[in-house]
Amino acid sequence: MTVTEAPRDAAEAAVAPSLSAPPTGLAAVVGSGDPRTIGKLFVGTSLLFLIASGIAGALVGIEQLDSTGNEIFGADTAVRVFTLHSTAALFLGVLPLLLGLATAVVPLQVGASTVAFPRATAASYWVWLVSGGLVLASYGIDGGPWGTELDAVGLYLAGLIAVVIALTVATISVVTTVATLRAPGMSLRRTPLFSWSVLVGGSVWLLTLPVLAGMLLLAFVDLRYGDGQLMGGSAGVYDRISWWFWQPTLYVMAVPALGIIADVVPVFARRRHQRHSAAMFLIGATAALGFGAWAQLGVTLDGGGTAPWLGEGPWIVLGFLAIVPVLGLLGLWTSTLFAGKVRLGTPLVLSLFAGLLLVGGFAAGGATVVDALDLDGTTWMTGQATLVLLGSVLAGLAGVAFWAPKLYGKLLPDALTRLGGTIVFLGALVAAVPLAIAGTLSQGRFVAGGIGAVDAGDVDTVELLDLVSGIGLAVVVLGGVVVALALVKRRSGEGPGDDPWDGHTLEWTTSSPPAIGHFATLPEITSEAPVYDARHAAAAASTEASA
Amino acid sequence: MATTATTDLEIFSEAPPAPPARPRVLLVGTALAAGSASMVLLTLVALYARLRADVIASGEVWLPEGSNLQLTPGGMAMTTLLLSLLTAGWIVQALRNDDRGHALMAFGITLLLGAAYINIVVYGWQQLGLGITSSTQALLIYTITALHVALVGLGMLYLAVMGFRAVGGQLTGRSAEGVSAAVLYWFVTVGLFAAVWYAITITK
Repeated sequence: MTVTEAPRDAAEAAVAPSLSAPPTGLAAVVGSGDPRTIGKLFVGTSLLFLIASGIAGALVGIEQLDSTGNEIFGADTAVRVFTLHSTAALFLGVLPLLLGLATAVVPLQVGASTVAFPRATAASYWVWLVSGGLVLASYGIDGGPWGTELDAVGLYLAGLIAVVIALTVATISVVTTVATLRAPGMSLRRTPLFSWSVLVGGSVWLLTLPVLAGMLLLAFVDLRYGDGQLMGGSAGVYDRISWWFWQPTLYVMAVPALGIIADVVPVFARRRHQRHSAAMFLIGATAALGFGAWAQLGVTLDGGGTAPWLGEGPWIVLGFLAIVPVLGLLGLWTSTLFAGKVRLGTPLVLSLFAGLLLVGGFAAGGATVVDALDLDGTTWMTGQATLVLLGSVLAGLAGVAFWAPKLYGKLLPDALTRLGGTIVFLGALVAAVPLAIAGTLSQGRFVAGGIGAVDAGDVDTVELLDLVSGIGLAVVVLGGVVVALALVKRRSGEGPGDDPWDGHTLEWTTSSPPAIGHFATLPEITSEAPVYDARHAAAAASTEASA
Repeated sequence: MATTATTDLEIFSEAPPAPPARPRVLLVGTALAAGSASMVLLTLVALYARLRADVIASGEVWLPEGSNLQLTPGGMAMTTLLLSLLTAGWIVQALRNDDRGHALMAFGITLLLGAAYINIVVYGWQQLGLGITSSTQALLIYTITALHVALVGLGMLYLAVMGFRAVGGQLTGRSAEGVSAAVLYWFVTVGLFAAVWYAITITK
């Protein structure tokens, strides 16, 4: 037995004497190393965390209704709730949602029997869950950024370090799966676009997440054993994290989301993805441009934060350059849809919504680097982050709806899923656009001075915009609840069949849900859409025979 | 193992099965993990170098008064780890030749050199003359070196596990991928110490 063993062959398992019945219920979940089970756990839990994060964000928006008073929290608490909202959205929401989907789907797409390290993946989920709970609990005992209880701030840092390590381990597992366990004949150029996006995006995550872990480790040591001067104590903690919410690092979160859209569009256009290799290049370029560990606040011996890269050439060039691959992908998807016979299924609708939000987010990043507009450090950037992160969430939901037969063995209820996704899309616009407008009126990011920088004549307008943005996040939460309801009320009755969408890639050759081990044998893969090719070859043969 | 293909795809499933691939799962996974671990340590080393450069540029001395950062322990630690590269390479070579006796000897010596390295680092801490709370410089030095000791400890654990598997006869000849992975990780930790050694001990 090796550390990396695959599940036993079903036939072998049937012949071997069984000493005890396989675990069921909670024991089966807790002890499972099945990537589908772990992926579903990641997806379900991250959706709950996202809803909690959205509620926190909505409360902060309402808090800012009147800058002279405190509607819900005190001013000190409000800023901490904002950090809870943003930290939970990213590290407990978006990243694990996409990672969970990848854990469940990537082995099926590349023709592997399981992920590369099933036990490590299972361990990473439980570590992530427990440490994520510790991160949230630390806020309850006056920890987190700007917390006054140093032990609780330490707990927050330790919990977040463990979250980052868990996400790193899960990423290593899926990236290794794509790199080494592809079916015979499936060269990298024939890899499905979602798996490709996980490979390239995950590789950049693996270069970026450890940098965050290093900074958090130093902040922890400084807090526990130093005088807190180097990293700024509890007030400086958020400076070590905040670079994940602005470009270029923000973009690397969206890479798997681009892969999901790229896999959904051709299936619902009922034709191959236009220029598959070009799409691979564009997704890879987005990942490469998203490496942003260099663009974080610097550290000085007196605890001051510097940003020497701000306004410099690379920062400006990258801001504009990052738009190009996303626009290129949008062009390819439009071309694919126009060339095909479009079927407006729910996954496609959600994917299109996600694509629009992502394009808006990337374009907003281009405006940020224009010095004359003076948008850097304002809520324009918060609005941009909202668009990119919620665009990624919507793409994740599109992926859940698309691969639901493989994840759950059922399709999601169409109307409910589409309604939930539409509400999330509209809520995202209502949440992001007012923040962007408030940014043009010089409202500083919430943790960087906020409304204090706004001209006196604009204060009422900005307060109203903040309230509208908070309402937008509340609408997003409502949409999330509707989608969660759709997940709970999966279509009952008979299963959806193995391939309800007429898919293009290998996962659609397995049963719904797939049996453990997925594939007994695989033929040599000769294209990036083997199932599509096989289906068309069969149709052509049938036509020829009848003629 | 059950695989349900759709009726449409019969032509697809009729194709002859391809030969099984021989993936290097553990090696690639270890390489990715080692790369991630490197990024954690190199982040701290880069921060150290940047702060040091800022202080020196302002005309001040980097290391605080009373510190005693000796070249000898650092040099010995580097030499010890360089020697361990040879013995780690010896493990792989011996297993490829199905020479389990030499492989086990190489495992043992490598682990011994790893323990010697940790001993030297702890000696260096005792000689440093700075408490971790005494200054920012000390905080950084202790954090970076302790993190590297932790990475070496992980490497020793990895090598030990693979050593036990070799003893059990699971790793022999060309199928010793697990050992290659552990040795790869070991090489990376030695490379990382070279960066730490240069940034802290040599430049002072």
